[in-house]
Amino acid sequence: MTAAVCTGLRRPRTAQEALVMAAEPDARYVAGGTALQLEWARGEPMPTRLIDLGGLPGMRGVSKDGAMLRIGALTPLADLLRHAGVRESLPLLAAAVRTTAGPAVRTLATIGGNVSGGTGCLIPALLALDAQARVVSEAGRSTMPLASFLGRAPREQALLEALLVPITQPGARWTWRKIGLRAAFTPGVISVAGLLSFHDGRVVAARLAVGSGVVVPTRLPETEAMMAGARADAIDWAALHRLLVGTIDAPADVFRSARYRKISAANAFVHGLGGELAGGVQAVMRQHSLTDVRPPAGEIRLARDMAGDRWHVRPDGPPKIAGRLEYLTDRREPGMLVARIKRAGVPHARIVSIDTAAAEALPGVAAVVTHNDIPGLNAFGIVMQDQPALCFDKVRHVGDPVAAVAAIDAETAARALDLIEVVYEPLPLVDEPAAALAPGAPLVHATGNLRTDLGLTRGDVDAGFRAAAHVVEDVYVTPRQMHGFMETEGGYAKVEQDGTLFVAVGGQHGGRDRMQLARILARPEETIRVVTSPTGGAFGGKDELSVQPALALLALKTGKPVRIHLDRAESVVVGQKRNPMTIRMRTGCDADGRLVAQEVEVLADAGAYASLGPGVLETALEHACGPYLVDNVRTRGRLAYTNNGVCGAFRGFGANQMTFAVECQMDRLAAACGLDAFAIRARNMRRPGMKGYLGQTVSGSERLDEMLAAAMADPLWGEPRGLSADGSECLGTGFALAYQGNGLGTLPADLAGGALRLAPDGAIEALYGLDEMGQGLLTSIRGAVAQALGCAREDVRPVTGDTGAAPDSGSTTASRGTYVAWRVAELTAGPLAEALCAAAGESLGRDPASLLVVAGGIAERGSNSGDVLISFADLARALPPDELPFAATSFEFPKSDVFTGNARLIFAFGAVVARVAVSRITGQVRVLDLNQHTAAGPMLDLAAYLGQIEGGGIQALGFTLTEDAPMQDGRHLTSNLDTYLMPGIADVPEAMASFALEDLDPGDPHGPRGTGELGLAAVSPAIANAVADATGHWPAVAPFDPEWMLDRLGEAP
Amino acid sequence: MSGLDDIAVNFRLNGEPRSLMAPADRRLIDFMREDLSLVGAKKACSVGRCGACTVLLDGQPANACLLMLWQLEGRDVVSPEGLDENADVAILRAALASENAFQCGYCAPGFVTALIALLRERPDADDAAMRAALEGNICRCTGYHSILRGARAAAEALRVARAATAGEPA
Repeated sequence: MTAAVCTGLRRPRTAQEALVMAAEPDARYVAGGTALQLEWARGEPMPTRLIDLGGLPGMRGVSKDGAMLRIGALTPLADLLRHAGVRESLPLLAAAVRTTAGPAVRTLATIGGNVSGGTGCLIPALLALDAQARVVSEAGRSTMPLASFLGRAPREQALLEALLVPITQPGARWTWRKIGLRAAFTPGVISVAGLLSFHDGRVVAARLAVGSGVVVPTRLPETEAMMAGARADAIDWAALHRLLVGTIDAPADVFRSARYRKISAANAFVHGLGGELAGGVQAVMRQHSLTDVRPPAGEIRLARDMAGDRWHVRPDGPPKIAGRLEYLTDRREPGMLVARIKRAGVPHARIVSIDTAAAEALPGVAAVVTHNDIPGLNAFGIVMQDQPALCFDKVRHVGDPVAAVAAIDAETAARALDLIEVVYEPLPLVDEPAAALAPGAPLVHATGNLRTDLGLTRGDVDAGFRAAAHVVEDVYVTPRQMHGFMETEGGYAKVEQDGTLFVAVGGQHGGRDRMQLARILARPEETIRVVTSPTGGAFGGKDELSVQPALALLALKTGKPVRIHLDRAESVVVGQKRNPMTIRMRTGCDADGRLVAQEVEVLADAGAYASLGPGVLETALEHACGPYLVDNVRTRGRLAYTNNGVCGAFRGFGANQMTFAVECQMDRLAAACGLDAFAIRARNMRRPGMKGYLGQTVSGSERLDEMLAAAMADPLWGEPRGLSADGSECLGTGFALAYQGNGLGTLPADLAGGALRLAPDGAIEALYGLDEMGQGLLTSIRGAVAQALGCAREDVRPVTGDTGAAPDSGSTTASRGTYVAWRVAELTAGPLAEALCAAAGESLGRDPASLLVVAGGIAERGSNSGDVLISFADLARALPPDELPFAATSFEFPKSDVFTGNARLIFAFGAVVARVAVSRITGQVRVLDLNQHTAAGPMLDLAAYLGQIEGGGIQALGFTLTEDAPMQDGRHLTSNLDTYLMPGIADVPEAMASFALEDLDPGDPHGPRGTGELGLAAVSPAIANAVADATGHWPAVAPFDPEWMLDRLGEAP
Repeated sequence: MSGLDDIAVNFRLNGEPRSLMAPADRRLIDFMREDLSLVGAKKACSVGRCGACTVLLDGQPANACLLMLWQLEGRDVVSPEGLDENADVAILRAALASENAFQCGYCAPGFVTALIALLRERPDADDAAMRAALEGNICRCTGYHSILRGARAAAEALRVARAATAGEPA
């Protein structure tokens, strides 16, 4: 470290030293450093000199200084929250700190850092508290108003040493509200801080300030002046509101408008300081015919304390919780290389040239691969192979892969990426599906931008609408939701000693990944082993190939193990999303509420490649009438290629988008014709045994009536509705029915299979090519096999997600895994038990017919003691390895009898009841309660089932209220979890309850239905219907727009 | 990636003293996962917004992706691996496992670390305190209620264990 060229860390001992260091070029103070990673991730340059203020004396801690609290600038926010003096003397500040960042960030982040950056969320609070800044500058120490410190000239060297904050006097009225994009740990949309002091019933001092995010922190002097001297009980709140809206200076960004910021801030001030909100609440609480309703017989609440011996601890739980479970991205081996992928960076361009020479020459780089290294078909895709493994002629979205590098470490690989020179010739951009389909639109693919065009016409729709007494029409818009699995795409690959290519990357169908890799690599499938489990979440987003081709090519080229793990920012850009849909739905009913016509038009964004988008659209249209009977139907769905990233499979697979629309239409029609929401559904619901929507035979055990009854009997209807106690929220309750198809449908091949065997160590191995993605596959397999075979769950060792160790079971998607787990166990348990008893009989010298499988081994049939005569382990030891009992099966997932469209046979049923609070201040919706009733056949594992329902419900809550990955000009506007807002713990309901109705019709051959998608199926419309119950208005655009809501509430004058 | 020169830094990681020369701005999460193959803490956002990499820094939860090596001088860092020997952590982990609190589990080590920090400081933590303490941790699978149930059970189990210890003769 030589002084002349030193770039690095400075550690001043005194404030004066720090000032001198700060005068050096490109130097920057740093305290907790929590903002730096985000800034650097955004592309802001790293300073060459960081001045660590941590060593400066006297800048940490809180002390009383007369009528002030002195807060050292280096005091971490977490310390402020813990400090009783701050909580008691500066409650406004404590409230503000509580809404700033998250707990682990607050351990590091300092108040000085928050303030000195000039945009921190605490600034408005400190301005309202009239805080003084204690500053060190070349001239010495001085104290100045915080606003003066913030407004100092940029060149003026000044170091914030402490804040002096006047203690809030008893009797003062204060308010703090951070309006964000979700409930907590959110970027600020706008924050408001207000403090009123009174004397003799009059306002003697009013200080109001706004700030946060893009809103420049500032006091609001006009409003303050207006309030000063006013009688406490005679403040003209309406005038104040007008003045606030007129004087608050707030810009727009991609998430919220300027108008929304001003209005919601004005509302927050008025409400927070004791005024009345302006809007006349017109809650039209709809009445429900809730007399003498009972939940369906046999429905049970899913909870550990009610589950008794049906509650099992999942086998992979403890190692995951201890951080001991090795995910595929955790793999480390000696000599392992690290891969990175070069992304297009431009949304649509022709590739003129790719030069990798400089990257290859970089020391530490082991290999660079491009399309030239691909020996086979340079294309993949589950349904149609339109996606290049590595681009060669053009790039179609910013995340398209162009080249890949393997190097000794991630840093070297990243440097090598920068050395790869790709020359592009820009092509015109297609960034909207409607524009993509316009005549003369630039082509994303030579085959045309209209990827899929589907439809159905039945009856006479026009006559149906003519005869309708009521028609409801709206355009439902659904978001580009991100899967948001916590483990981003990645894993490792290597060439085994026998030449086998081993690829271990989290996935949802190893067999298909292997087939696709074989095609790309021009290798026989038998020479490739693919491991796809365990993986840290998938939700459909790991169904398609992602990093596997590049990783495999690098392993083959280097002959060394190579790993890759996408950063979140890269995953956001390259990962698939839910296809955004615009659904125009027009529904008519007669005067009695009978549906007479349904017209549905869908326009979906495919993104740059098809993947499973066509199937998603098809599934959406298959659910176009939900479980309701309509004679006259016209549907059309179009899927358009654009340069907007890639879209594809996502839990729900189109059905949840369509159900959102259908179930809102039902409530709206009910309101139009004066029926309640239950009656209109009862009047139109399909009856058991009827043909399905596409004319197909559907499976039995339909439970729609029961789910409707469960919804009607739900206790949430008895909970408060109407205006909240403090007047700031409107409460309402709503529901929706869930009707979700299982399996891939009739058109795609849907093969399944699996095997059981006695392993040499005595375990009953259950071999499935399915994947453990978190859903509880392992525990479900244990449950299915133990039940079918008669052994204990602990005897069963699932072997999953490995083409080298388990047969192909088909994909772990489409709510099909549970069925496959069960059916394989059903089909193989008998033969395996027979083989086990035969082997045991021989070993014990008994008649096999007198033996049976029990927990731990083989016992005598009819024995009272049930004692194990020979354990599985002893039996395994007694047998030569090639004579260990084994039973395998393969079958096709059950299909319906209609092949003209993709018609599913098996459906699962549900009803969701949601209670919400709609804020009259912000227009935001909170879900207070979420009760989910389900009927999906017998549960293989109660806890796993519960987990699917609860987790699916909250993923749907995110879809409904906070999640979207908007794009502009072919680029993502959210790059990480700071602005892509999945629900945090503060967003989830206070209470959730999940229920299951397990019974099947006598003779039903299909066993358990899938729950992977059921928990998500109808949450959005239940929330929307609850919002309508509270406000009289149905939001049709998800995530719900709070500004739209404020307008409807009359709170946005 | 690194823009800053190497510095000498001394700190404790899981009870072991570490002295190294490394780029000042190397992040703790990369140091652990890339250089030491300590992969218990997970990397899921790299910008302090998901909590999967949460470690204890002098006993308080902190994001290992935000911490750079220069910030660790003289400090005590505990990663999920370093919690294995702790009796309270064992009780917490067991309670979460019994409740089947997690699904894919990738977020679990971070939640455990955030929860142990809370329960040590506030053994009486109620639901509101637990929710507040977990605001920085994202779970995509569960919807959080199973985690809250596990956390409640853990708090109760810890109270029982402490009462038992306190009741024992010295």
